[in-house]
Amino acid sequence: MYRFLFTYLFCASFLNLSAQGFQVNFQGQKQQGMGFAGTALFQDASSIFYNAGSIAFSNENSVNVSVTPIFANVLYVDSATGGAYRTENPVGTPFCAYGLFQHKKNAKFKFGFGIYTPFGSTVQWEDNWIGRFAIARLKLQAIYIQPTISYRLSKKIGIGGGFIYSKGSVNLQKDIPIQDSLGNYSHVELNGKAAGFGFNLGVNFQINENFSLGLSYRSKIKMNVKQGDADFSVPSSLASNFPDGYFSGTLPLPDVATIGFAYKTTPKCTFVLDINHVGWKSYDTLAFDYEENTTSLVDTKSPRNYKNIIAFRAGAEYKVSEVLSLRCGGGFGFTPVQDGYLTPETPDANRIYGTLGVSCQFNKRFSMDASLYYTHIKRAGRNIETNLNGTFTTIAIAPGFSLIYNW
Amino acid sequence: MIRNLTYFLLPIVALLFCACKPKFTKEEVSKGEINPTRFIMIGGGHTAGYMDDALYSEGQENSLANLISKQLALVGGEQTFYQALVSPNSVGIGLSGFARFILGFKTDCKGVEALSPLRISSAGDASILSINTYNSMQKFQNFGIPGLKLNNVSTPNYGSINPFFGRMASSVTTTVLSDAIASEPTFFSLFLGIEDVLDFAKSGGTDDNMPTVDAFENDYTQVVETLLNNGAKGVLAKIPDITKLPYFTTIPWNGLSLDEENSISLNNFYNQLGYSFQIGINPFMIVDSSANIFAVRQILENELFLLSLPLDSVKCNKMGTLFPIRDEFVLDLNELQTLRNRIAGYNGVISSLATQYGLAIVNSDNFFANLNDGFIYNGVSMSAKFVSGGAYSLDGIHFNAKGNALLANEFLKSINQKYNSRIPLLNANSYDGIYFP
Repeated sequence: MYRFLFTYLFCASFLNLSAQGFQVNFQGQKQQGMGFAGTALFQDASSIFYNAGSIAFSNENSVNVSVTPIFANVLYVDSATGGAYRTENPVGTPFCAYGLFQHKKNAKFKFGFGIYTPFGSTVQWEDNWIGRFAIARLKLQAIYIQPTISYRLSKKIGIGGGFIYSKGSVNLQKDIPIQDSLGNYSHVELNGKAAGFGFNLGVNFQINENFSLGLSYRSKIKMNVKQGDADFSVPSSLASNFPDGYFSGTLPLPDVATIGFAYKTTPKCTFVLDINHVGWKSYDTLAFDYEENTTSLVDTKSPRNYKNIIAFRAGAEYKVSEVLSLRCGGGFGFTPVQDGYLTPETPDANRIYGTLGVSCQFNKRFSMDASLYYTHIKRAGRNIETNLNGTFTTIAIAPGFSLIYNW
Repeated sequence: MIRNLTYFLLPIVALLFCACKPKFTKEEVSKGEINPTRFIMIGGGHTAGYMDDALYSEGQENSLANLISKQLALVGGEQTFYQALVSPNSVGIGLSGFARFILGFKTDCKGVEALSPLRISSAGDASILSINTYNSMQKFQNFGIPGLKLNNVSTPNYGSINPFFGRMASSVTTTVLSDAIASEPTFFSLFLGIEDVLDFAKSGGTDDNMPTVDAFENDYTQVVETLLNNGAKGVLAKIPDITKLPYFTTIPWNGLSLDEENSISLNNFYNQLGYSFQIGINPFMIVDSSANIFAVRQILENELFLLSLPLDSVKCNKMGTLFPIRDEFVLDLNELQTLRNRIAGYNGVISSLATQYGLAIVNSDNFFANLNDGFIYNGVSMSAKFVSGGAYSLDGIHFNAKGNALLANEFLKSINQKYNSRIPLLNANSYDGIYFP
């Protein structure tokens, strides 16, 4: 007659979306140095990501390899208890590699290939933190592979497009508020691989010698996890309530539309501005479908209710000499996370950030770029699903380096 | 070149590690208008840390009184809070003399094995009640005493009536209140009244010794005034609707599941009385002397069975069908009305006394009601469901440590609100719930 119904909500918190959702735009050191802007400008092979149309104006073969370690730490202060909890994130290492080719000098067609990691963070909260039943650890990896073709329609207009194949993995862990005979809490680990498809389009207008305009569009990609592994550690008396098995889920990676401007005041000095529109509204629910449901293990739907956002990015570049260029930039982005939906895996807020950059052209073929990104964000709120109520403070610093070889 | 680069980069990397940790500045705490130096609390089982139907040490460590005192210590209260602790190795002892419950597997009369509360030992630890632990150098501060009714707070020789007080009393003749005063409280908390209505409820309404609202008012006023004479401030707590505790809500009124054959035979038997049965779920039959000459009827939807109902008799010996369930296992609508009216009357008294004397009041009735509806606390679903709800101990009446922490937070919120203090709340997620085998 005693029926033990465990309907612990597997309340959500799936893929981490950091940096204005998951737009971790560490995809090119020169753009990073200028506040992530550069849609209107051919910079180097990394423009394969920023604007596939702009590479039509290149005139080189080029290989570009870049890495940007992210040092990010979050502090959570619980409003009721005053308790402080921190993340113990390992260093994130987004990397990218691009190749840009033409079959002859001044060819109208350019071919490009990009591999980049627009997601790649791990959020690891300290043991036994107050939100351990919402999330303990989330590791997200995604690699985008983008073959690209670009065509110079005229001296003024370049167009380009790329197909994106995205491959990723997710590992989510949290504690379950059920204690075993020694008092240890139960635990669940969800492990899945996801894949998705999309595309990247761009147009670049060289309006005159000084002024250029870029439009780019990166499509939404649905990352589908099929047959992910759900692994439960629960007391033996409840093992049948929490069967290990498969789960499936989908995470929409939103589309991004960008208009970018670049203005050369002198041959040495360039200013850039990008305005992004990110279609976060597509991320309204995070659903988990467990292959085998029990009274304890039910499919879940967690509201995310993200909203579409706009972000502004701007920067400047100054060519000190043939060898040395300096950059600086910054940006402002609205958060897609509405009040009531702040989560410990995405403690997102409207953010202001600043960046610096430098390039060294060692010789005609070989150059090196470096950049530095810094942001400090803070947001207080109560999550309507978990009732976690506190203040998240995040500091992220990301120094990046790249090596470029042209021929 | 590479070497120089390393020299150049290493300090930068080290700097980045340090620079990117957000700084934590502790929020200010404050005692506000109270003097938290020495805290005492008077109450019943919840206050004592009685849980799993016994007094035992882990329960006491997580008693409502002890948890509140821990937080008061953060704003200047004494670091020690003296309780009449039971030995850590003891199996504990309950009001009925048994050892505490643990969750284990039990095989019922039909041979079905299921998770169920079991006694950790065949007998309770009687030595707990026979040894007096009073120490004049470390006067007790937790006057949470299992079974303590309001009108017993000033009863002389109460220790000989209730051994749970006897084991901590300063003398044979002393009263709970005079021992409490002897501890020189600067701040007090009262959580009285539950035990006054619990006997009635746990006896299925057969044991009616609930005080009248007038008597309750007299007694409560006397306790409050005595404590105030000492110059202390305090917090009073209202009484929850105890009929919503898992002890009264776990066994469903219509849990009688019938196949065709059984429904026909019961219909043959009861149709002449006007009761009919169908295939599937049905209300159980209960004893009601006013129902008809056979003193039997079907239980109504809003009437309650008690957890004391012998389920093996129900499953295997036709209890609830041919043998109607006795009154002592049922709270009928009249009894429920009596109980709820009385609780409302008592709560009216507690509220007006709090207003009259300028004391903080805990709307614990609202808290228990919220728990019945269920809520999410820092990612954890909490409800009043037996065992799975997360807050109640295995006796279905008293909270476990997690539940006590949640309730203690309600006390702290009320104190903060009334006395402009900033006492941090407890992280209830760091307190234990039920252990599963």
